[in-house]
Amino acid sequence: MKFSRSLAGAVAALAFSVFHVAAFAQQPVKIGMSMPQTGALGAGGKAALLALQMWVEDVNAKGGLLGRKVEFIAYDDQTNPGVVPGIYTKLLDIDKVDLLIAPYGTNVTAPIMPLVKQRDLLLMGNFSFDANARIQHDKWFNNAPWGAGALAWGGTFLEAAKKLGAKTIAVMAADAEFAQNLCTGGRAIAKAMGLQSVYDQNYPPNSVDFSSIIRAVRAAKPDAVFICSYPAESVAIVRAVNEIGVGPTVKIIGGGMVGLQFTPNMEALGPLLNGFVNYNSYVPEKSMDNPAVREFLKRYEVRAKQAKVDVLGYYLPPYNYAIGQMIEQAVTATKSLDQKMLAAYLHKSEMKTIVGNIRYDAMGEWATPKLVMAQFRGIKGKDVDQFRQQGKQVIIAPAAMKTGEVVPFDKARN
Amino acid sequence: MKRFLIGALAVLALAASMPLIFHNEYFFFAGYVVLQFIVLATAWNILGGYAGYVNFGSGAFFAVGAYTAVALYKAFALPLGLQILAGAAASGLLGFGVGMLTLRLRGIFFSIATIAVAIVLETVVLNWHYVGGAKGLPIMRPVETPFFASHTVWLFFVMAALAVLAVGAARYIETSWIGRGLRAIRDNEVAAECSGVPTLKLKLGAATLSGALMGAAGAPYAQYLSFIEPASTFSLNYAVNALAMPIIGGMGHWIGPVIGAVLLGSVQQIVTVTISSEINVLVVGVMLVVFVVAAPEGILGLFRKLFPSRKS
Repeated sequence: MKFSRSLAGAVAALAFSVFHVAAFAQQPVKIGMSMPQTGALGAGGKAALLALQMWVEDVNAKGGLLGRKVEFIAYDDQTNPGVVPGIYTKLLDIDKVDLLIAPYGTNVTAPIMPLVKQRDLLLMGNFSFDANARIQHDKWFNNAPWGAGALAWGGTFLEAAKKLGAKTIAVMAADAEFAQNLCTGGRAIAKAMGLQSVYDQNYPPNSVDFSSIIRAVRAAKPDAVFICSYPAESVAIVRAVNEIGVGPTVKIIGGGMVGLQFTPNMEALGPLLNGFVNYNSYVPEKSMDNPAVREFLKRYEVRAKQAKVDVLGYYLPPYNYAIGQMIEQAVTATKSLDQKMLAAYLHKSEMKTIVGNIRYDAMGEWATPKLVMAQFRGIKGKDVDQFRQQGKQVIIAPAAMKTGEVVPFDKARN
Repeated sequence: MKRFLIGALAVLALAASMPLIFHNEYFFFAGYVVLQFIVLATAWNILGGYAGYVNFGSGAFFAVGAYTAVALYKAFALPLGLQILAGAAASGLLGFGVGMLTLRLRGIFFSIATIAVAIVLETVVLNWHYVGGAKGLPIMRPVETPFFASHTVWLFFVMAALAVLAVGAARYIETSWIGRGLRAIRDNEVAAECSGVPTLKLKLGAATLSGALMGAAGAPYAQYLSFIEPASTFSLNYAVNALAMPIIGGMGHWIGPVIGAVLLGSVQQIVTVTISSEINVLVVGVMLVVFVVAAPEGILGLFRKLFPSRKS
């Protein structure tokens, strides 16, 4: 009797443990984030979200992570920093996500840095700029090709300016986290290079009328104009420059204009973009040609047309897909979802992604930045297909990826 | 009064016992927003509902409280209680100042001035680098909060206490000679003046108290978010909500803004995380239009219409 009771107990315990393991195995790995799907960064955010969804589909088709399906939870943050901490608290406390990805952009990432630092969580950054500079969180890994500091942006742009003989500079920047971080770095680099500042002004975010600012820049007669702006402002600045003109002294203009990489803006502006020099993460130039990205973009384009988002998808989608790949590599290698183990792996290992192999520095930024400065040239009409051709966004820096020399602004427009 | 005091104590006791019922931090995170809107809507109603002077710059009063608290926290590491007092004093002073400049005149001048104040102050803060300027400022919360499970739970309790205080103040004003005077101003200011109502004094008092309560609501904001930046702190959404909630709940009674804030605040919180955070602004707009057209006296008015014999 005693034996049969023990046996029954053992069988019950075994059955429970088998059931428990099976139930655990079926629980999905939850990955959560907020993404700007509306507001200033909405156009880029939607394309980035599509790429992450593609990665989730791909990884689930391969059997998921640790034998569990991946469930992806994303909320729209409207590009509003004020709602982001609430969304991430919900992701952690209600949705009980296992892993977090940061929203696209610096302004919406900054508010969650204290939260992840205090909860000691891993956060995969998403095209932020110096978002970890003040918090210094050791589990932050930003997937953005510019690395820490403004050198990759301002340095290459200002070197090109020097090459064109520039001696004076005008700086105009939006009063917002990203733009201020960037232009502060840009100013320091310009000073170190001996460029004399003749105009330096901030403008309120979401400004739409730049006519007075462009007139003031023109009156200051700078040789170079370094701009740090957000999408709607970038479009308005390009239009204002075309309507009013920045004057014959300007040899180079652009630098840190977010939004000129988005297909809808490129399509809308067309030839007005000619001559502008701006940062980019991927352009279809020979030196950046990469079979993995090419194959991804082929699949992405089909999906983008259905989803009616950025059809070219050069700027953000490959990098967002790469975030998924890094999570996959780290989880598979460590066989764990433990934040500490994953962070340690990401710090010490080379991450293999479609955008190339990535190593992180101590601050969680790319150890070797690969940001390119490209100059729009020969854009005719508003046909989107022309942006797939080589020679339309000529890479002028860095030297390793250069596909042409920088041409003075007025020359590139004729 | 006795019944109200018992009710207020019961609400505070309920807020303090919430951690025993809810163990999920998000409940307190979302609940804080609803309580914050109770304070804002009640504060707005003191001037807008009772006296009929519409404040379109609630966001500015809220932000002045928030930034005063942040500046003092950064400079002297003041405790939250003193931050709230300082935030309330700064916003109260702002209300008094704007009132002094515009409330001598009847009509829309006060409303226009509140919009102007919001724009001017946002520009000032954008360029005030000590509190982060346009870049914003991350605030690390204390890791441990004595007597409370977490800092969010503590902030929830603080906001519950502020809500009780705001509603208590509004109720006192409504039932006292001050409320009668404010209502007389709303109905006919010239007649009120002729009847001996000290109109300017009452309007200034209401503007100061309303501003102070909005500032008190804003003071813990940076600790709640762990971050502060001007665009979301001066957001127009605060002004829209502070105005919409009393209109939807009913402006004539102190409970109206509470009903409006609980209803609208909860719906917004649910919609934000279930459908889209952008839709929550649409929800406010649609509800505002529906109530203005179908029930101009808000839920309270509707209730009175449906149950005419009962006093609300």
